[in-house]
Amino acid sequence: MIETIYIEKKIKNHPRTKSIQKKFKKSRFIEIDKYAEIFNKRNQNFRIQKANPNLILAHKNDGFVLRTPEGFGIGSSKNFYFSHMYNCIYDCRYCFLQGMFSSANYVIFVNFEDFDASIKNVIDQNINSKITFFSGYDCDSLALENVTGFAKHILPIFQQYPEVEIEFRTKSIQREPFMSIEPMENVIMAYSLIPDLMSSSLDNKVPSISKRIQVISDLALRGWKIGLRFDPLIHGKDWKFLYEDLLEKVYNSIPLEAIHSVSLGPLRFPKKMFKDIFNLYPHEPLFTSPLYSNDGIISYDTNIEEEMSVFCKNLTLKYLDNSQIFRCY
Amino acid sequence: MNKMSVRWVIALKEEAKVILDYYEMALINKKTLYPIFKNIEETHWLILSGIGRHNSAAATSYLYTISNASKWTSWINIGIAGSGKGDYGNIYLVDKIFNQNSFITYPATMPKSNLPKMSLLTTDIPITNYSSKELIDMEGSAFFDIASKLTSKEFICIMKIISDGPENNIKQLTKLRIIELLKLNLTKIAQVVSYYENLSENENQIKERPEIFFKISSNWHFSVTQSSQLENLLRRLKVFCDNKEIMDLIKQCKSSSSVINSLNNKIKTNKVNWSDI
Repeated sequence: MIETIYIEKKIKNHPRTKSIQKKFKKSRFIEIDKYAEIFNKRNQNFRIQKANPNLILAHKNDGFVLRTPEGFGIGSSKNFYFSHMYNCIYDCRYCFLQGMFSSANYVIFVNFEDFDASIKNVIDQNINSKITFFSGYDCDSLALENVTGFAKHILPIFQQYPEVEIEFRTKSIQREPFMSIEPMENVIMAYSLIPDLMSSSLDNKVPSISKRIQVISDLALRGWKIGLRFDPLIHGKDWKFLYEDLLEKVYNSIPLEAIHSVSLGPLRFPKKMFKDIFNLYPHEPLFTSPLYSNDGIISYDTNIEEEMSVFCKNLTLKYLDNSQIFRCY
Repeated sequence: MNKMSVRWVIALKEEAKVILDYYEMALINKKTLYPIFKNIEETHWLILSGIGRHNSAAATSYLYTISNASKWTSWINIGIAGSGKGDYGNIYLVDKIFNQNSFITYPATMPKSNLPKMSLLTTDIPITNYSSKELIDMEGSAFFDIASKLTSKEFICIMKIISDGPENNIKQLTKLRIIELLKLNLTKIAQVVSYYENLSENENQIKERPEIFFKISSNWHFSVTQSSQLENLLRRLKVFCDNKEIMDLIKQCKSSSSVINSLNNKIKTNKVNWSDI
């Protein structure tokens, strides 16, 4: 239940605003001028807000499509991302969003058509390059699909450009619109996974790993391409056993021919972001791990990162080709 | 030990009477610019600001200094308000504040409350043309403006009880009636305040320095940078070590840097046992 929905005056009559309002009949609606009046202001407490976030419906003015950071990708020469939303309904303790915004309220940008135009523009400008778009870098791309309908809206664009890839990265068990439409070769349904035992401690409010594997399997059988994102790799007692159990379970539950790619990424935070997150959750067991600061990044020791990455890669190679495995950093 | 902390800023003594009685606050034995009350535990403090924005702003700031409020103190403003929309005698949480100088802000109201919410217009002169205004007072915006400089928005609460409106002439509002209006809403007020007491106490538990920090600091001399390192290390270690284990680790240390190194080494070898969490 969302108690309060703030609505920018500029989009108060937008059909998408009206449609979202209908889904929250018991909420209080408050008109605002700009979403920045509420979101990311100084003197807000992310942790307290996260207990009961409000929703902000807004108009995005610019920056619809951006280049991904270095090291983020699955093989294309150029990678871009777009976020129709800020913040996530889940509360994962390793997530960078905890340190990204001072506010935990959700912002949904309702002017999807401006995203469409920017995506088409980027495609036109990169006609000779292999490009991949990532949906939902600043949010979970599908977790609020039943409210936003963003994936349903954006998919037809990519039907027009079969050579351009789009990845929807999620921890949700959202099946629609994907179970109701014909699978598209250039769409990757990517799922972030960590071992069950770690997930029950770190992935707050997130569907269980077994439920996620079930949905991945259903979508794979329906014909959708699957991305597996073991990112971040989490260290701890018995990590080898825990990751072996997870990877074996995943590779034995999903038709292997449906797997598009696997990526492995170490746990890492920009130093300033880590400081903010640690201040929010100083008693979090994850931060009792041996973490080091190196070049402005907080991460495990390089030897731990390497050992975990090689271990998971070798397990994956029993099932998939080396060309399908990517390392994020 | 109770570490919660609540500060009240209230304009009139009639508005404060029921609160002072319920939370057992008494006038402090000290000469102050505004009348200030506190309970024996010094967890609740209340200041009578008088009417108007300037008084409210000054009193909020003054109470902060006098009562040694922390970053996780909850701040509450409660009082009567005029309204062109709400129900007479009912209490409302404020979720939007504006004044005649175009100041607009949006308090983060308490979650999961059964109390209805309304917007508040703070004016410099009494208004009797209620028209379509939800709530009208003379202090709220200034209180919020100052309080939000002292703590994060989630710790600030404004509650208003409708005392006058188109059907209820302000001229008929007596001191006794104001006390009565507060009394009628006391249960609801106490429920809201209980949320803010817990919020403050929980934040204190999360943010306060571990007790062992003071013990260690008194035995070795730490620079400012080292103190910060020590505090962070102790917060991390406290998740999986008890105080005795920590003291055993460092009892042979000759210097503050060797204390830091010993604690760092303990972290370096830690493997989180996810099955214990």
